[in-house]
Amino acid sequence: MRPSTGKTVEILQDGNVLYTFDLSRTEDQVIEVFYQNRSNTVQIQDGKICVQAAECPDQTCVHMGYLSDSGLPIVCLPNRLVIQFSNAELDGIAN
Amino acid sequence: MKAKRLTELALLSTIALTIFMIEQKTPNPFPIPGVKLGLANIVTVYALYRYRAKEVFLLVITRVILGAVFGGNLMALLYSAAGSLLCLGGMIPLHRLIPERILWASSVLGAVLHNIGQITVAVLVMRNAGMLMYFPFLLVSGCCAGAFTGLCAQLLLHRNPYMAGKACSQSDT
Repeated sequence: MRPSTGKTVEILQDGNVLYTFDLSRTEDQVIEVFYQNRSNTVQIQDGKICVQAAECPDQTCVHMGYLSDSGLPIVCLPNRLVIQFSNAELDGIAN
Repeated sequence: MKAKRLTELALLSTIALTIFMIEQKTPNPFPIPGVKLGLANIVTVYALYRYRAKEVFLLVITRVILGAVFGGNLMALLYSAAGSLLCLGGMIPLHRLIPERILWASSVLGAVLHNIGQITVAVLVMRNAGMLMYFPFLLVSGCCAGAFTGLCAQLLLHRNPYMAGKACSQSDT
């Protein structure tokens, strides 16, 4: 893990950005995101983000654990949820 | 379609559906969306080499729809339908070129086509190109799973003289 400085993360549903966080500055919190009455519980703790619980059949997003530096987004296909580092941030790293 | 043939296909659909349901209830050791073994496709590959294209098509559609209904995951219907249809679209012409003795290769090709269909729908549904980052993982796992299911189907084809013999005699008529 690299030091978590200036990591901007966005939570998207259906392609729309619902939340944007700077993980290095966001305090620990739990967010509920709903899709058609099914919820995903997103947890931010110690500058890391993960899906804590999900009301979906496959639970893949929960098993994926924390969003990693590899840039691979956390995805919940049934609830159309994506948690990823924001593109602006990725461009910043590329530059 | 003869009643006997219809019954055989119904039986195969049931077997595929059962395998599908059991696999779905088993926790997936790979926490990557869209990755799974797809054991139900053993039946698909088997049918591909023993039945007509139209029949295989019906078999797969039945399994995909019923699987989504019984599995309670209608969202998955889109992914599996897109994957299966693209896969079948490629496999029905391709399996004529690939002899039964390297059947696993045709299964790998089918898996890759399935993955392409899957990821296309995923990008469209989620409206997020970030999904493409999963494509390499899907491809690698798809090739392994495809080879495995293909080998299973190959074993089945060789060890089921009853079905094999009958299907041959039927295709002659």
